[in-house]
Amino acid sequence: MLDEKTDNPAAVPPKRGKLAEWLLPGGIEPDPRFTLANERTFLAWIRTSLALLAGGIAIEAFTSDLFLETVRKSLAASLLLLGMLLSAGSAIRWLRVERSMRNKTPLPLPLIVPLLAGAGALATGAVLILILRH
Amino acid sequence: MTNADNPAGSQGDPGLQPERTTLAWARTMLALVTASAIFLRWLPRHGFPVLMLFVVAIATAAAIYLTQRRRYSTNSYGITQEKVDAEIPAVLWTASAGVALGALGIVVVIPG
Repeated sequence: MLDEKTDNPAAVPPKRGKLAEWLLPGGIEPDPRFTLANERTFLAWIRTSLALLAGGIAIEAFTSDLFLETVRKSLAASLLLLGMLLSAGSAIRWLRVERSMRNKTPLPLPLIVPLLAGAGALATGAVLILILRH
Repeated sequence: MTNADNPAGSQGDPGLQPERTTLAWARTMLALVTASAIFLRWLPRHGFPVLMLFVVAIATAAAIYLTQRRRYSTNSYGITQEKVDAEIPAVLWTASAGVALGALGIVVVIPG
């Protein structure tokens, strides 16, 4: 049997935090499964970015007899920069997806995909050329 | 028995969403621990700035570790209620840690 509180849930909108009202305004609560899936996708991006950050540090720390200093430093800095951009980009993507789920609009295209693919291809190409010329 | 009677321990969702999400956080925590170990290895050569990298990575990992129990319980209960609040602070903190690690790393790499 329903009591007064649960009898019409739509009449009383659930309370949300200030942060939620600010960053995820309006719309209706999405399916919780989608919210959790969005969170896991964000975490997969964060792990990708962590791998790039650790890779950048590893290149600077362990390849001093393999690459010239300028090459090593620019490669390490590029990986760190890419990792940084992906970290920020993954949070932005998470927010945009969450917003579009609340408003039932089509999901936004992931801009971090071409960023990762393009920068990855560029860095690999640069290293390949440097190794072949060595 | 309904899931609401036993919110923390039950799996009301056949897709095991709360479990998969908690595991995704656990993998991220392990990645942070691995990264912090690499930073430690780098410590003798670059000194203090690398210590900051280590601290940011290990503190983020610790924050994830300490919130895992609450996360699983909240999400598990939320699925049974068909409402899970987006974890805005956790997402923003984790992404900020990534940005901070990148920025600190660049500061260490460029001049040294």
